[in-house]
Amino acid sequence: MKKYWKDIESKYRKEELKVIEQTSDENSLSGLLSDQRKDIPASRRDFLKLCGFSFAVSALASCQSKIGKAIPYVIAPNELIPGEALYYASSYINGNDYCSIIVKTRDGRPIKIEGNPESGITRGGTSARVQASVLDLYDGSRFHGPMKEGILTGWESIDKEISSKLHKIVEEKGTIVLLTPTIFSPSTEAVITGFLNKFKGSEWVRYDAISYSAIIEANKISFGKQVIPDYRFDKADLIVSIGADFLGTWLSPIEYTKQFSSRRDPEHDMNWLIQMESNLSLTGSNSDNRIQIKPSQETAILLNIYKDIIKAVEKRNIETPASSVDISGISEKLLLSAGKSLVISGSNIKQVQLLVNEINRLLGNIGHTILFDSFLKTHAALDSDMEMLIGTMKKGAVNALLVWNVNPVYTWYKKDAFAEGLKKVGLSISLSGSPDETNSLVQYICPDNHYLESWNDAEPKKEYFSLMQPAISQIFDTRQMADTLLKWSGSTIQSYDFIKAYWVDNLMSRQSEFSDPVTFFDHTLQKGTFEPAATTVERGGKIRSVGTISFDPHSIKTVDNDGKNIVEIVLYETIALGEGRQANNPWLQELPDPVTKICWDNYVSISPAQAKEYNLNDNDVLNLGEVELPVHIQPGQAYGTMGIALGYGRSKCGKVGDNVGIDVWRMLSSDKGNIVYTSKVEYIIKTGRIYPFAQTQTHHSMEGRAFVRETGLKEFKNNPSAGNEEHAYNLEHNKSLYKERKYPHHHWGMAIDLSKCTGCANCVIACQAENNVPVVGKEEVHRVHEMHWMRIDRYYTGEEDNPEVVFQPVLCQHCQNAPCENVCPVAATNHSSEGLNQMIYNRCFGTRYCNNNCPYKVRRFNWFNYSAAGTLSGNLRDIAGMTGDLKRMVLNPDVTVRAQGVIEKCSFCVQRIQAAKLKAKYENRALLENEIQTACSQSCPANAIVFGDMNDRKSEMSRLINSGRRYNLLEELFTMPSVNYLTKIKNKIL
Amino acid sequence: MYFQARKIKYILTLIFLSFIIAPALSNSHQVKDTIKIQKKDTAKVQVNDTTKVPVNDTTKVQKKDTANLQVKDTLKHQLPDSIIYKQTTFSAEELIRGERLFFGLVYLENKSVNCVSCHNTNISDTLNWNPDALEISRKYLNKSAFDLSKILLKPLGKKMKEVHKGFQLTSEDIVLIKAYMNKFVDIGIKHNKPVITNLLLLIIAFVLFLLSTIDLIIRRIFKNRQINWVIITVTGIFITWVLAVNAIAFGRAKGYSPAQPIKFSHAVHAGQNKTDCNYCHYTAKISKTAGIPPGSICMNCHLLVRNGTRSGATEIAKVVGAYEANKPVEWIRIYKLPDFVFFSHEQHVSAGGINCEACHGKVKEMDRLYQVPDLSMGWCVDCHKTRKVNFSNEYYKTYYSDLYDSLKAGKIDSVRVIGIGGRDCGKCHY
Repeated sequence: MKKYWKDIESKYRKEELKVIEQTSDENSLSGLLSDQRKDIPASRRDFLKLCGFSFAVSALASCQSKIGKAIPYVIAPNELIPGEALYYASSYINGNDYCSIIVKTRDGRPIKIEGNPESGITRGGTSARVQASVLDLYDGSRFHGPMKEGILTGWESIDKEISSKLHKIVEEKGTIVLLTPTIFSPSTEAVITGFLNKFKGSEWVRYDAISYSAIIEANKISFGKQVIPDYRFDKADLIVSIGADFLGTWLSPIEYTKQFSSRRDPEHDMNWLIQMESNLSLTGSNSDNRIQIKPSQETAILLNIYKDIIKAVEKRNIETPASSVDISGISEKLLLSAGKSLVISGSNIKQVQLLVNEINRLLGNIGHTILFDSFLKTHAALDSDMEMLIGTMKKGAVNALLVWNVNPVYTWYKKDAFAEGLKKVGLSISLSGSPDETNSLVQYICPDNHYLESWNDAEPKKEYFSLMQPAISQIFDTRQMADTLLKWSGSTIQSYDFIKAYWVDNLMSRQSEFSDPVTFFDHTLQKGTFEPAATTVERGGKIRSVGTISFDPHSIKTVDNDGKNIVEIVLYETIALGEGRQANNPWLQELPDPVTKICWDNYVSISPAQAKEYNLNDNDVLNLGEVELPVHIQPGQAYGTMGIALGYGRSKCGKVGDNVGIDVWRMLSSDKGNIVYTSKVEYIIKTGRIYPFAQTQTHHSMEGRAFVRETGLKEFKNNPSAGNEEHAYNLEHNKSLYKERKYPHHHWGMAIDLSKCTGCANCVIACQAENNVPVVGKEEVHRVHEMHWMRIDRYYTGEEDNPEVVFQPVLCQHCQNAPCENVCPVAATNHSSEGLNQMIYNRCFGTRYCNNNCPYKVRRFNWFNYSAAGTLSGNLRDIAGMTGDLKRMVLNPDVTVRAQGVIEKCSFCVQRIQAAKLKAKYENRALLENEIQTACSQSCPANAIVFGDMNDRKSEMSRLINSGRRYNLLEELFTMPSVNYLTKIKNKIL
Repeated sequence: MYFQARKIKYILTLIFLSFIIAPALSNSHQVKDTIKIQKKDTAKVQVNDTTKVPVNDTTKVQKKDTANLQVKDTLKHQLPDSIIYKQTTFSAEELIRGERLFFGLVYLENKSVNCVSCHNTNISDTLNWNPDALEISRKYLNKSAFDLSKILLKPLGKKMKEVHKGFQLTSEDIVLIKAYMNKFVDIGIKHNKPVITNLLLLIIAFVLFLLSTIDLIIRRIFKNRQINWVIITVTGIFITWVLAVNAIAFGRAKGYSPAQPIKFSHAVHAGQNKTDCNYCHYTAKISKTAGIPPGSICMNCHLLVRNGTRSGATEIAKVVGAYEANKPVEWIRIYKLPDFVFFSHEQHVSAGGINCEACHGKVKEMDRLYQVPDLSMGWCVDCHKTRKVNFSNEYYKTYYSDLYDSLKAGKIDSVRVIGIGGRDCGKCHY
């Protein structure tokens, strides 16, 4: 059995505890670690006083029962049944992120987002950001109404003022610029076109903070199409990705995870992923082969692959500089799966993307794994446009600037230049809904609705349409951006009518099912999506002839810093925060990074070898010239590189996200008009300070036992239970003192396919939203008090400098021989007749024996009153404002909000089980296949989690638990968990 | 000595605790009284109740003053009505006369019914169909005394015609009554405090207990220690019993029957008019909650029905008024489970086939609704232990086939809720 280790320290088992020095520097968390409540010896008198007082308070609290009111509607909405959930199909659009969703509302307020299985793009999957977006709706720091110079005013006066100013600018032949991210809503695009036509001389500039403009420009040169194609990871047998984290953050990760994991079933054709990268990304963690490279080596690697391929395909020899990285065998493998392979690069350098295009073209992948018929519309902005805009602004040639949903003062690499240009703009208006660094500098704020309050549509991919509908009316005095532009254009039409008219005029003719416009629109709205061309794309689309292009490999310069004393920096987006749009979302801030397991901060990832060389330890604060950041030693980080996350260090986003981490957008640079997400430093200074992280890394160490079982595809083909030999042994030898209990009726269970799970952490947030899991804050996470019911354990295997990574979602295992149940003195945790390990909060009085006795460490204790459910005052610990009336609207009324002093844990979403059973009884029928879905299983983009009745012999669940790959966590303890894992199969061919 | 001092301290702590528990006792006591009165008074409340009202403390003084006041009366009678109605400032004496008129303490020849016999000046525990003094005073605060005289002397409503028959109040009397009633707008009307015999007993028991204990320790009065021991035992048992009974009733509200903003009678709607429970509480079969009917449901009938046989127009006008003003009626919630208990009406009514009366009692006979069960967990589980499950449902046939088969074969006569997991904690607590 391989030795698994969770971090470097546990690998070498350093026993001594680190002494953390406290400094008075503002960057260090002085006082954070110290216990504020000083230990004063308490006397018996004090004890009695406290006893008396607490008894008095609790007695008084229970005596004066509040008079509750029951307030009905005056006129109840037809579709609304109090106490029952109501679902709306909609779309999530946030900048370039897209997901087709179903919004669950209870009594008129959205409380949960689910994926829409009708969508041909996301297919029912979501991401952590999508799951968390419902909390943004209840963010009190969103703008409460239109503002002029920071003072709240009314829409009527502000409309009049702005309209007259805009018309004046047009009269004086001035320039009006509308600055937005890529807009892939056809109706909004039409609104903007109308606006541009109305105000002659106005321009529309699109700017994406995370830019893919090199791909767009390269495709224009290579294929004559200025778009990002539709990558089909499900059709690729071999994927070679160079720095593209397509499972985590690259372009459309939900879609790609669905496609990728559909090919990770070892019983069918498994794909093979080679990842070459500097940072250990989510994609790299899931790859079959991972090659560590520096960003500067990328061009040489691609050139060498290109050389091999062109030699084989076109029998031409070209000369290229040698690559310092060993990439032997990759070209041969690519050629073997020509037409069924996919080469992608995360670089934003045009020459690299041109090279990638050439390789894909030569391999015949265009039209098979790379489709241009159904291109992506979510990313279309060109960095050069933005560069030009700033130039014009600085000249004072922009008379009015309308900014919507972009934040260049924070995300643009020359942010000062933009801010300086903004000062010279006569009329600056922001249409964004929430505060950010850019709209803190503008004159007028005309806030947009949250997407859950808006009407909209989307075409994220050519011919894949979807609608967005409001699930709640506006919480604040906001107005949709499209409505604002329509109003200023002098139109009286509302965006709902506009969208409806647009769909009837432009899209209705693409289908023949409905002839009545109202029926067509209503049906589409109910379904959420409209994909007239999806079927043709499914067949692979047309293979376009892509003629030879003027491409000279010798024109490509290679810069290889190998050997030089330069550290290259790779700037990346995290799974949780991305470019920082949702920085004010406490769920996302507290989501541990899938790989580093650090939350509430960004940091410098550095390779263990380099750390040793520079004599650096975890938590040392480094000076990198412009910024100071703490060190995190990351196994698998390429030597000579450092990784730093963007999206942190916001200064004007709200209470939660302000000043969390460090802003490193300044470290970006521009290469031929495209933003480059790499940088380099020639020196680093160790400041000598220490900065502690909130890290969930070593909290749940299982001390090197065989909990993740793993094998290769070849071994699996020979023996379906390869790597899982222990299971049979354990089954035979485990004996219990207790009588075996039968569950003849229902026996709920779960199967988690470790081959499919990518560790994307969608389930963590889905669970948090469904089960009212509190946010505890950085300090509490640091004290090992995090509350997530679902965690994803990450283990490294193999070499410290080039480890393999495995992920394992761990939740309450619902053991049949549950160790927690035996030790509870008040039977607050016990077993149900359906095999669930129940946790009864109102019975629990907080001994935490169960927590101590749980071998999986999945029980969580409410050390403080995190959710304001407790009766005693003074114990409230709410760093993220989660107990305010507004944020509490996100709570699921079907799940108890836990008070302090009780244990809580995963319940297998028993509220959903109960609801589905009731529905079946009401309809006088048996349960349907997959009718009961837990929050984690429902929206898993990888379909890795399956929930069901283990007694149901026909179910998917049954098939999985009877497979040779099935095992249980720590099964040698004979706890008999109801959660089953399936051995991870890696496709190790090379 | 130290030992004794410590004991005294412990005793003082006990006293402290006892004072904390006292409010609980008074609360529960009040609730108990409610039910008793409820039963007694339903008949009495039938309008036209001319029985004497509890006499105010001012009775004794009254006899002396009446003469003086009547002299003034005769003088004022000379003035025309239009001037009398315009009076805005009143002397203390005049206000006293207003009060006495309201309470029927001024001798009037025609022996009219006094105001207070129908219009409460206290919040009562029983349903009084007539508007209370506060409601009337609010209604007429900004209206003239002439408006009040119209409704007093020549009412239009059927019921008021009967009751106000033969009223012979002078214009001045009406002005004074109105002037007196205006004070309710400021001070409101108050709860009748029930006499707390139990609490008194408890305090006495405590004092006795303490004295005996102190005497036992310090040994001064009684030379015979046995007497102290007897007192301590008896009072101790009493105190423990009272505490235990009240501790169990903590947070439970059996018999809770608050005054609602509108005097809505289930006896009239569900009993006399035979309205189906599900007509108003239309989500009981399809949702977790039975639901309080929205104003629009009320208006289905009250669009036409504007006069109640017993309440007259006042109460129905409130429903209509709230609906027209687009404001919901803020009912006081009676049945309330703690947040950690999940109860579904749909489960019990639709799937379980239980009728409403099983839990809510004879609502059809209740003028003012009160909580019938104590909603304790024991009450829930007792029912789960005995209630038979309807096994004809396809769901049970599929998943509980073993039980279904033995039921069919006659091996068992019935399956109780408890037999299908009805005692699992996680069925209600999650």
